[in-house]
Amino acid sequence: MHSNTGAIVDLLSWLEPLCCVVVLAFMLRRGQMRQYAPLSMFLATRLVSFAICWTVNGMAGWHISKTRAYHIYFYTYWASYAIEAVLGFFIIYSIYNLAMAPLKGLQRLGILMFRWAGGIAVAIAVTMAFGPHLTSTKFIMKAVTQLQQTQSVITLCMLLFVCLAIRPMGLTYRSKIFGICLGLGVLATSDLVGAAWLSNFKSMYSIYAIFNGSAIVVALSIWSGYFAIPEPKRRMIILPTTSPFLRWNQISLALGDEPGFVALGEVSPDMFAPAEVEVMRRASMKMRLPIAN
Amino acid sequence: MKYFARIFALSLVVTGAIASTHIANASQQTVVSGKVSALPVPVCPPDDPTGCGIGSTNGSSSN
Repeated sequence: MHSNTGAIVDLLSWLEPLCCVVVLAFMLRRGQMRQYAPLSMFLATRLVSFAICWTVNGMAGWHISKTRAYHIYFYTYWASYAIEAVLGFFIIYSIYNLAMAPLKGLQRLGILMFRWAGGIAVAIAVTMAFGPHLTSTKFIMKAVTQLQQTQSVITLCMLLFVCLAIRPMGLTYRSKIFGICLGLGVLATSDLVGAAWLSNFKSMYSIYAIFNGSAIVVALSIWSGYFAIPEPKRRMIILPTTSPFLRWNQISLALGDEPGFVALGEVSPDMFAPAEVEVMRRASMKMRLPIAN
Repeated sequence: MKYFARIFALSLVVTGAIASTHIANASQQTVVSGKVSALPVPVCPPDDPTGCGIGSTNGSSSN
């Protein structure tokens, strides 16, 4: 039973980088590396961290000492985890930008809110990681885990939003935007489920490792599928005039306008140019004339 | 496709929501879990004298 679990985990750990390469290859083929830059950086970070961790794990006790190997492994793993958590925020940010591109007002308002939410999430993650008798190691692990959990919650909110507002945004369930959100949703759910119930399994070859390995392979497969098939063209958005999306978009567009200025209190004539004074004098003379003229 | 995608997405959201409330209720401290990957999670301090058992696991022969 245990050897079966180990074999499955080994298989999944090999499938993960393979799937990463496949997704990156499809993105490169479709010329969408720049458009989805945070996602490609996320995949590249995973590939690099996997390569380093796997090499170090294999060389431990042979070419380098186990303590040194573990030192490298530890910092590579947690640094890449932190980078991936931050890149996760950027992926959601870029997906939101792309999804809301036709509704500029709501896009601008959402970006403003997202930046605040992101800033608060980072602050909460760092603050919650503090505690009594805390070593720097524990602090890194707690802060990164907390950041990842916050990012997972935001990801699921984004997935729900895309799912509910897919029609007003002119998207379909075959759009890459939805596909990327769905893949991120799988990662987010497995991260939260793992933290809630499965993190008690401390063995490297437990059901937790299989669950984690399967989730990343499923997410990468979803992305591969969406990048492999041609994306349907974005539909023209036709909203009823009573649509709350349209109304909020108009309000949001007006919110960003440059303000006008109103002079209050007494205004001295010295503040105006002679031409302006002349215009006002003639206008006031005209106002005094009878209406018949 | 449409209904499958919608149901799958909503089930992910509901599961994630239940899990996040469980994390908040069950643990007084922040839960430390690894990233979603089959790579082993390094939970020991980096200066662990045994190297946290690195290099001694290859699936079939571990533990």
